[in-house]
Amino acid sequence: MSKINLQDTGALFQIAEPTAAQAAPRAPGRGIGIDLGTTHSLVAIAPQGAAPRVLADAEGRVILPSVVSYAGERVVVGAPAMAQQEEHPERVVSSVKRFMGRGAADIEFSHPYQLVGEGGVLRIAVGDEPRRHVSPIEVSAELLRALKQRAEAELGGPVDGAVITVPAYFDDAQRQATRDAGRIAGLKVYRLLAEPTAAALAYGLDRGEHGVFAIYDLGGGTFDISVLRLHAGVFQVLATGGDSALGGDDFDRALAGHLLARAGLGEPSRRQVESARIAARALKERLSAADSVRIDLESLGLVDLEVTRAELEALIEPLAQRTIKACKAALKDAGLRAAELDGVVLVGGSTRVPRIRQLVEMTFGRPPLTNIDPDQVVAHGAAIQADILSGSERPGVTLLDVVPLSLGLETMGGIVEKIIPRNATIPISARQVFTNYSEQQTGMVIHVVQGERELARDNRSLARFELKGIPRLPPSMARVEVTFQLDADALLTVTARELMTGVKQAVEVKPTHGLSAEEVDRLVIESLDHAGEDYSARNLAEARVELGRVILAVRRAVGEVGHIESLLPPDDRMAIETALSEADAAMVAMVAMVAGSTTESDTEAAAASLTRARERLERISEPFAARRMQRALNAGMAGKSLDEIEAALADEGLDARRGGHSAALIQDDDEHGE
Amino acid sequence: MHAHAMSSSTMSSSTKSSESSAAAASATAPSVAASLVVTSRAAKVMREQLARRGTPQAAIRLGIRGGGCTGYSYLFEFEDREPRASDHVLVKDGVRVVVDPKSMLLLKGTEVDFETGMRGHGFKFTNPNTQGSCGCGESITF
Repeated sequence: MSKINLQDTGALFQIAEPTAAQAAPRAPGRGIGIDLGTTHSLVAIAPQGAAPRVLADAEGRVILPSVVSYAGERVVVGAPAMAQQEEHPERVVSSVKRFMGRGAADIEFSHPYQLVGEGGVLRIAVGDEPRRHVSPIEVSAELLRALKQRAEAELGGPVDGAVITVPAYFDDAQRQATRDAGRIAGLKVYRLLAEPTAAALAYGLDRGEHGVFAIYDLGGGTFDISVLRLHAGVFQVLATGGDSALGGDDFDRALAGHLLARAGLGEPSRRQVESARIAARALKERLSAADSVRIDLESLGLVDLEVTRAELEALIEPLAQRTIKACKAALKDAGLRAAELDGVVLVGGSTRVPRIRQLVEMTFGRPPLTNIDPDQVVAHGAAIQADILSGSERPGVTLLDVVPLSLGLETMGGIVEKIIPRNATIPISARQVFTNYSEQQTGMVIHVVQGERELARDNRSLARFELKGIPRLPPSMARVEVTFQLDADALLTVTARELMTGVKQAVEVKPTHGLSAEEVDRLVIESLDHAGEDYSARNLAEARVELGRVILAVRRAVGEVGHIESLLPPDDRMAIETALSEADAAMVAMVAMVAGSTTESDTEAAAASLTRARERLERISEPFAARRMQRALNAGMAGKSLDEIEAALADEGLDARRGGHSAALIQDDDEHGE
Repeated sequence: MHAHAMSSSTMSSSTKSSESSAAAASATAPSVAASLVVTSRAAKVMREQLARRGTPQAAIRLGIRGGGCTGYSYLFEFEDREPRASDHVLVKDGVRVVVDPKSMLLLKGTEVDFETGMRGHGFKFTNPNTQGSCGCGESITF
C-alpha cells in the first residue's frame, strides 16, 4: 500500500515521556461542593459515594452569609461581618456576586460602595486610611477560603479540589472571575457547575436515560427558572429566565409594609421599618406551617395581632405571578409544553412558601420535587459532582482510567484528526489549531467522532456543531483552536474558538454513553482489520483535499492578477488553463473510479492520479506563482534587505506549518477544567 | 498486512538482536525484526536513557499517529506498561521497542539510528514509506 518514495525527513527525535503519565493524580473523597450564592453560601461533601451533607461552622451554622467586612484590621467573613454592616455600610461587602466579572459600566443596580476602576479592573474602595481597594474576585475568595477551612476541619486534611456552582446564565467573564476566586482561595476548581444542573444532580435526575426538567429557584433576592434537557448522560440548559431583583426579601417587604399600615405608621422611623421587616420574615416562615399566627409588635404599637396565611398570600400574589410569567416564557423559549416535562425541582428557601408550591404545581401540572432542603440542594449536587471528580466511585457512575477509544474531529475530506489518543489517562486536555480551506468559509462544522478508523464515517459520531463568525481570510490564514477536555467522570467538553475574533462555541458529551466493553473491543479489532484500506482511503481523501486546495488557489490567483500580462503571458495562461481542466477531469475520473470499487489497489491508483494531477498543476503554475510572489514582495517589502525578506518569509512559512501542528496535551493546571 | 517478509538489509540486524537477550522474546511475540531496524548505537542510547530515567526495564514505544500539518507524525516515547498482545516487540541489545500493529504498516523497513553532529543529537528515523516532510520534520507524508 505504501509508496516507496524514500526521503530523509531530516528531523532528530528525542524519547518523550509517555503522554499517559501526564494526567493528574486523584484524591478520592477529598472534593468539596460549594454553592457560592448572592446572599449566602454553603459547602457540602459526599466523600467516596456517601450521601451529601452540608458542613456547619464551629457555632453550628450551616449557612455562611455572603458578607465580607473590611471594617476592622482583620477581614471578617459571614455572620460577624453582617453585624458590622449597619455601622460601616461602605466597608462591609455583601452580594458581591453581582459584581463578578463586571466592568464599572455594567453596574446598573444601586449599592452603597465606592467603585474604582483601576486599569480596567473594577474594585471596591473599602478603606482610605490605610487605602484599601478590593476586587470582587478577592471578596469572593474570602468566602471560598472560609468554606474551604470548614471542609478541611471536617475532612481532617487538605481539600483536593472543588466544584463551584454558578448561575446558568453566567457569561465567560463571570465564570472566569469565579474560577479565579477559587484559585486565590487555594482551591483547585475541578469544574464550574450550573446551579440548576447541581439541583438536578442532587435529585439523581442524571440517572435516567433522558428527560426534560424545570428548576424553579427562588432565593432571598433573585429568581431563576431554568429548563434542562438530559441527553446521553449530559444536562444541557435549554432556556433560562427570571428576575435578578425578585425574591423572598420582597415578600418580607410587602408584609412589613402591611404591618406598618396596620400600625397606622405613615412615616415610620428607620428602626420601625427594620423591626417590621424582621417581624415579617418570622411571620412568613411561621405561616408556611400555620394558617394564622398571633404576634405582639410593641415597637410598632401592635399587640396580639393576628396575621393569616390568606393575607400573606394576597400580599405576595403579584410577586408570585411574576415568577410564573417567567416560567411560561422559559418553557416557550425551550419550545416545550408543561406536559412534556419529566420533573420540576424547587430550589431556594422562598420555595417553602405554600402558595409558591401551589402555583408551581399548577403551572407545570405536577407536584415539584421537594424532599431535599431547598437551601441545600445546590450544594448537595455540587458535592456529588466534586466527589466523582476527585476520583471516587459512586453508584451509577463509571470511572475510567484510560480513554477507551480515540476522540477526534472530522476534517476536510472526511478524514479524522485524532485529538485525544486511545489509552491516554483520564482526566486529560488536548488542543489543536485548525484553519480555513477557502476565503468563502465563514463557519466551521465541528464534528466530534470516536474510534480508531481513519475516516469519520467509520467512527461513532458524538456531536456536531458549527462555529460561525469566522472572518473572511485567505485560505489557511484563519485560526480555529479546538480544545478537547475529558474529565474524570468522562464528560468531554469540546470548545472551538476563532483566535482573531474570539468567537466561541462549545459542546458537552459523554463519549462512553451507550458504549459497552465488547463494542470497544470490536471497534479496535475492526480498525486493525481495516488498517490497510483505511490508510488508502485516507490517502485518497488527503490527495483529493490537496488537489482541491491547489485548484482553488490557482483559480483565485488567476482571477485576481491573471489579467496582468507581465505576470501571466498568454502561453502560460493556456498551459495553466489546460492543467486546471485536467485536474478537474482527474477529480471526476477519480469519483468514477472508486464509485464501484473498494479495493485497496484501486483506491491507491485513484490517489496517485490525483497526486499526479496536483503535481502537474503545481509545476505548471509555479513560474506564475513565483512572479506573483515577487510582485507582492516588491510592493510590500520595498526598502527592506533581501535578508530581511527571506527571514520574514521563512518565519511566515514556519508559523503557517506550526499552526496546524499535532495535538498538544495541555499540562498547565490553570487551563485544566476550562 | 502484517509484515513478515524479511529483506536482506534487515536480516543482519535481527540476527544481531537475537545474539543478545532477544531470542526468547522474538520467538513468542510477533517480531518486528523483519521490518524495523534499530542500530546498536540507537539501542545503546535508549538503554542509557532508560537507566537514567530509573526504569531500565521499561520499553520504548514507536508509532505513527494521525496529526501534524501534513498528516502523520511519529510517536516516540517511554513505555512503562507491558506491551499489549497485538503489539510488535523488537528486542535490540536488551532494549525493547514496541510498535502497535497499525503503525507497523507505515514503519515497515524503518531504520532507527542515533545521530550526533552539527544539528545536535537525536534519534533519526529513515522510513522508506515516507514521501516528503514538512519544514519542521515532525510530520510526514505517506
